[in-house]
Amino acid sequence: MKEFRNMAFPYVIWIAVMIVAPMLLILLYAFTTAGNDVTTFHFTLENFTRFFSDMVFLEVLRRSLFIAIITTVICIVLGYPIAYIIANSQIKHQVRLILMITIPTWINMLVRTYAWMGILQDNGLVNQILGFFGIGHVTLLYTDFAVILGMVYNFIPFMILQIHASLTKMDKSYLEAASDLGADKVQSFLKITLPLSLPGVISGITLVFLPAVSSFFIPKLLGGGQYVLIGNVIESQFLTSGDWNFGSAISVIMAIIIMFSMYLTKKVDKDESAKGGDTV
Amino acid sequence: MKKLLVLTLSAVALLSGCGSSSSASSDAVEKYGSDTLKLYNWGEYVGENLISNFEEEFGVKVITEYFDSNEMMYTKLQAGDSYDVIIPSDYMIERMISENMLQELDLSLIPNISNLADGVKNLPYDPDNTYSIPYFWGTVGLVYNHNNVDPAVVEEQGYEILRNTDYAGKIYFYDSERDSFMVALKALGYSMNTDDEAEIQEAYEWLLDMNSKMDPVYVTDEVIDGMSNGTKDIAVVYSGDAAYILSENEDMSFSMPKQGTNLWSDAMVIPANAENPLLAHEFINYVLTYDASYDNSEYVGYTSSNQEVMDALSGEGGAYEGINAYLPREGYELDEVFIDNQVLRKTLSELWIKVKAE
Repeated sequence: MKEFRNMAFPYVIWIAVMIVAPMLLILLYAFTTAGNDVTTFHFTLENFTRFFSDMVFLEVLRRSLFIAIITTVICIVLGYPIAYIIANSQIKHQVRLILMITIPTWINMLVRTYAWMGILQDNGLVNQILGFFGIGHVTLLYTDFAVILGMVYNFIPFMILQIHASLTKMDKSYLEAASDLGADKVQSFLKITLPLSLPGVISGITLVFLPAVSSFFIPKLLGGGQYVLIGNVIESQFLTSGDWNFGSAISVIMAIIIMFSMYLTKKVDKDESAKGGDTV
Repeated sequence: MKKLLVLTLSAVALLSGCGSSSSASSDAVEKYGSDTLKLYNWGEYVGENLISNFEEEFGVKVITEYFDSNEMMYTKLQAGDSYDVIIPSDYMIERMISENMLQELDLSLIPNISNLADGVKNLPYDPDNTYSIPYFWGTVGLVYNHNNVDPAVVEEQGYEILRNTDYAGKIYFYDSERDSFMVALKALGYSMNTDDEAEIQEAYEWLLDMNSKMDPVYVTDEVIDGMSNGTKDIAVVYSGDAAYILSENEDMSFSMPKQGTNLWSDAMVIPANAENPLLAHEFINYVLTYDASYDNSEYVGYTSSNQEVMDALSGEGGAYEGINAYLPREGYELDEVFIDNQVLRKTLSELWIKVKAE
């Protein structure tokens, strides 16, 4: 066993250099400000108080969480039935359907978002079609609708794939047992399929909520720049105002919020599966 | 095995197909020390054939990377990336000079400097071209649809038309703290380089007011497509983009606001850590030739730093004949050049985020 343990050594170095070191750097930046020529930095909580004492930043944070939650909920509501239908179709169809879900993700996200700009524009595809039928033109681009549409479109494949994976892993004999015992379809779905697919939903939530809450180019492109989310604030701290300390502090705040929500979902997951264990 | 042989042979054939250029590139290695030039430029900011012609003529290879803001370029350079030629804007060049990030140019290697237009000579950030050679230059103004907006109103109100609720929901505003505060400060009659707190506060309130009354869309390069398609009626636009828009859509007109504007220029510089400064000088000299400058300016729409090209394109039969956006306003008292000010930029950047987040 000993010699195998030694083989992990390169990975430890890899993790230290590629993951731990950058995180520590961000932490260091977050708790410091740029100093003078003598001391390069000094420790402070100023970056954090600056964030929490400013209503504008708190409003941006609230809006970012709100958008991310809406996006996640829509992804579940739309993604679950799709995953369910795919999981219950024949194997050869399943492969094709999953392929159709994944193909768009092969194309760069930025390109796909630009495509939506073309579709939603005032004289874009949607409005041309509406105009053809004589329906007046509607403003779609640079609205809440456009931002949420862009987010859901970009992130829903992650949700579908996760739920699909947990549905196909499920042992079908549970369902047979349920119907033998007289449960109808709704009952067996609610008592068996749903609890057993919950881990998929949970990891789907993680995969959708995380990028949604920190996304910055989707609100920028589809929201017309008026739509400032927390990712945009962080981006501007690094790229335009050059205040890396404040940017890092916001990133740390986001990381804490995300860790906390992960912890909550994990807890819900555990409780649910404990309950599920009882019923099964 | 046979298959492998065929593959290898065809690969060799492919490689030898490039033989002519590879022998040329060894000449380039001898002459410049390397046959690759790393160019760091704005997106869509170079003529259609300029790069390929340069590569062919000098037997070298150009690798281009793109940035979309001076600050992004600066951050990347700070992170240690090395380029041979970069094309930043005036105030950023000033900052890079003060931070010793640029090499002094050897002007004996750039004889074409004599082609420079009068408007880009003796620019305040680098009066003797010690570090930089102008590439494009221009102003910032308003593009408007003259079918929906009366030209007389635009001339009379200048920037204040951006707060005229007759046009609410019909404007594009430029999404950068420098340009947005320039508009607000100029509209209020202040210098765009002010560091007076009261004046900045007033400009901030001007922008907040504009933001709440007009429901503007904040864009950068998207404004080009948007106005070419006539999506909105009024937009804050860089003159070169305006020239392009006007040549695409004849409903559009360009006005340089009476309150004054930003007289800007972008120039070619060689960073201190450039790996191939000799070839960089050759490239800068090449850009200043008539043909290269013509290709550049005609294709991109920005005003050439080459006097003859500028005259040819704006003159009779030129691609931008009769398009006022192509020729920058010269000698207007209220027009200013940006001065680098780190503290101010930080303040403005934060205020700008707040305007947009409202």
